[in-house]
Amino acid sequence: MTETTAFRVIHARARRRRHPLRRWYRGNERAILSAAGIVSFIAAWQIGSDAGLISKFFFSSPVEIAAAGALEVQKARFWEDVKISASELAIGSLAAVLLAVPLGIAIGWYRGVSLTFDPWLNFFNALPRVALIPLVVLWVGLGFEMKTIIVFFGGFFSIILPTVEGVRTVDRQFLDVARSFRAPERLIFTSLVIPGTLPFIVSGIRLAVGRVLAGVIIAEFYAQTAGLGVMIARSEASLQSDRMLFGVLIFTVLGIVLTEAVGIVERYLQRWRPSLDLEEAA
Amino acid sequence: MRSGHLALSARGVQMQYRDRGTGKTLLAIENVDLDVPDGAFVSLLGPSGCGKSTFLKIVNGLLPATAGEIKLHRVAKGREDAMVFQDAALFPWYSVLDNVAYGLVCAGVSRGEARKRAVPFIDLVGLKGFDDKYPYQLSGGMQQRANLARALAVDSAILLMDEPFAALDAQTRELMQAELLRIWNAAKKTVLFVTHQIDEAVYLSDRVVVMAARPGKVIADIEIDLPRPRPLSVKRTPEFAVYEERIWRLIAGEYEHARVASQPDAAS
Amino acid sequence: MIAVRGAPAVQLLGRLRSSNERVFYGVFGFVGLTLAWEIAANTGLFRKSLLSSPSAIWKAGVIDIGAGTLWPHVGTSLEEFAIGFIVSVAIAIPLGLAIGWFRRIDYFLNGLLAALNATPNVALIPLIILVAGIGFESKVIVVFLSAFFAVVVTTFTGVQSIARRHLEITRSFGGSRWLAFRTVALPSTIPYILSGVRIGAGRALVGVVSAEFISANQGLGFYIGFFGTFLDTARVMLGIVLFGIFGVVLGELLRVVEHRFDVWRPELHR
Ligand SMILES: Nc1ncnc2c1ncn2[C@@H]1O[C@H](COP(=O)(O)OP(=O)(O)OP(=O)(O)O)[C@@H](O)[C@H]1O
Ligand SMILES: [Mg+2]
Repeated sequence: MTETTAFRVIHARARRRRHPLRRWYRGNERAILSAAGIVSFIAAWQIGSDAGLISKFFFSSPVEIAAAGALEVQKARFWEDVKISASELAIGSLAAVLLAVPLGIAIGWYRGVSLTFDPWLNFFNALPRVALIPLVVLWVGLGFEMKTIIVFFGGFFSIILPTVEGVRTVDRQFLDVARSFRAPERLIFTSLVIPGTLPFIVSGIRLAVGRVLAGVIIAEFYAQTAGLGVMIARSEASLQSDRMLFGVLIFTVLGIVLTEAVGIVERYLQRWRPSLDLEEAA
Repeated sequence: MRSGHLALSARGVQMQYRDRGTGKTLLAIENVDLDVPDGAFVSLLGPSGCGKSTFLKIVNGLLPATAGEIKLHRVAKGREDAMVFQDAALFPWYSVLDNVAYGLVCAGVSRGEARKRAVPFIDLVGLKGFDDKYPYQLSGGMQQRANLARALAVDSAILLMDEPFAALDAQTRELMQAELLRIWNAAKKTVLFVTHQIDEAVYLSDRVVVMAARPGKVIADIEIDLPRPRPLSVKRTPEFAVYEERIWRLIAGEYEHARVASQPDAAS
Repeated sequence: MIAVRGAPAVQLLGRLRSSNERVFYGVFGFVGLTLAWEIAANTGLFRKSLLSSPSAIWKAGVIDIGAGTLWPHVGTSLEEFAIGFIVSVAIAIPLGLAIGWFRRIDYFLNGLLAALNATPNVALIPLIILVAGIGFESKVIVVFLSAFFAVVVTTFTGVQSIARRHLEITRSFGGSRWLAFRTVALPSTIPYILSGVRIGAGRALVGVVSAEFISANQGLGFYIGFFGTFLDTARVMLGIVLFGIFGVVLGELLRVVEHRFDVWRPELHR
């Protein structure tokens, strides 16, 4: 046997001199490709639209959407709609947080109480809350209150369920330690229960973002009174797809910003615990 | 040793890690030469971070070295080398049987056949009856046995073992050491064994290769001339103590050297 | 020895409670609140037109089922849901796996996906109606979109959180990348996929209701809205309850599937 067949040779990595441009690309590949993804999506849309491959009637081109947006922001009516949607969102979400958190903590603290409420909380969490719109209309009519209540429902159950769960799962071991030191209940609450539950609450709030946005849109579609949802629905009725897509885009931006903001808080709160890694758990 | 040729021969191996973000480099090992004769049991001994795992990964082909060359003696069929990982690194979603069969599956053996061939190795490492348990149902020591069985099952000429017993308690570790010698003797394999325990290296090996850190390099290569088979009681003989003492001095000297070198003011 | 306390009935209750706490309290809460609701409605604590009462809802259900006017709505909604959801999952899972497995696909698509995932899909309903009309197809498309991004995003997150050392094992033994995909990526991602499917199912249900509210002449969402305009609270509540039950049953079914795949996850066996 010759030398070459007798051995498998493991060579060192050949150090290739790469072109500086290539090296720059390798270093920033992620940013470059994801910018390319967004740019090519918009470009393909625009070009397809101009070439008549994509129906302008249904999907106005990006340029048209931008133009419609520029026109829209000059209208007082638009800002009126923004103000209404924003108020519904703000009041409904705030009420949801302010009620769901303390109530969730209280319910979760008493095991029996929390288990008693479990089927109802699960029911409402599994129920698409927008289904409640016609009922709420029967209560308060088609106005501002109805939409705010729907936003509230959207957020409330998404937050209370994880909150109850969080309090219930506060580590028994820590509780035992605290009790063995005769810590007063108040201290146990502020030093153990609240910090232990906070990450759950924030995850709930992150889930709630999508729910409240969907809630406000559907409620406005349904009621047809005022707000950005109505602006979208009316644009459809008058076949102005550029204006309609501009309205959708506002909700996209709002969704990204809110989710990101809550995500930052969430990551900050969870910095002391290792991320949930299924492999590590095994 | 047994058939006279080298199972592994490394020349001038160097490894430089590059941080992708900052572009900074770290010289993990520098210019390592190592010859391992066929059938020998050689230990790599050195402090944490001296590049032992790095070296094994290079041999195993998981990492390309930045310089140097390694030759593995070619075998008729299958892989030349198989790795026993530092942490047991079993797949939590596979049963013990499927985990042990996995190396064979990687070699292209069908799953059914691989399972059949894995069974004797499960018995060999003393896990009989645990075939269908999941890793979380095993103790740390049992996981290590499965880890070992997976590497043994592919029937490679060389076993690369990365501190396989580091996480075990003292008694279990000793039992596993004795077990390993028994298996090694029966299977006639070449073993490259990484550890930072002096007594473990001396007890198991024909040769102990001592490494120093920052950058990792070989500072001594010591033949262990203790008779085989070695019962655990060898560890309490004076000859054994002499080897331990000698290696300990080497490492302590290296440590002192590094300490003085890194703190020039402290000496005065 | 357990000391005898209270009447036999109380004893039995106590034993029941300790034998299956969760179920005991659950049934207690369910029956208790339903009773309280019924009593409050009948004693005039609130107007019946606001919440109706369990017995009125029951009666409405019996009548509509007897007359055969309820099932067509339920059937339509179920069909829209089933088709949209199954197609959505069938496309989303492979896409999510591909995005997670191939780094460049991920880089290229992740900005777009983040934007689309953050868009409340229901905002697109008018556009979809404009494109696909007010019929069956538009609702299927809404359901499809509602579930899609949740499944894609959780799936690729799952693939990307595979432990490095697990991928190393395959390479160490000379296995191919395709083998690593089948034996490492897939099994370790399944829990993520399933929770994505569960989240997607919830969103798809929202999609069904919303789309049917906005334009439909058939379906449970339409049923609720229709009787809402006639101030028939009992039927509105009936529709809501049916949606809720469907949501709960679906969630539980998917949870059962999740558990089936979870034999190797120790935290569930504590
Ligand atoms: N993937 C990596 N990227 C950058 N540096 C690394 C990487 N892996 C290891 N290193 C560095 O290389 C050096 C050697 O690491 P290695 O894991 O080989 O040490 P070791 O001898 O096996 O240590 P231990 O006994 O603790 O397992 C260390 O300084 C470590 O920080
Ligand atoms: Mg190591």
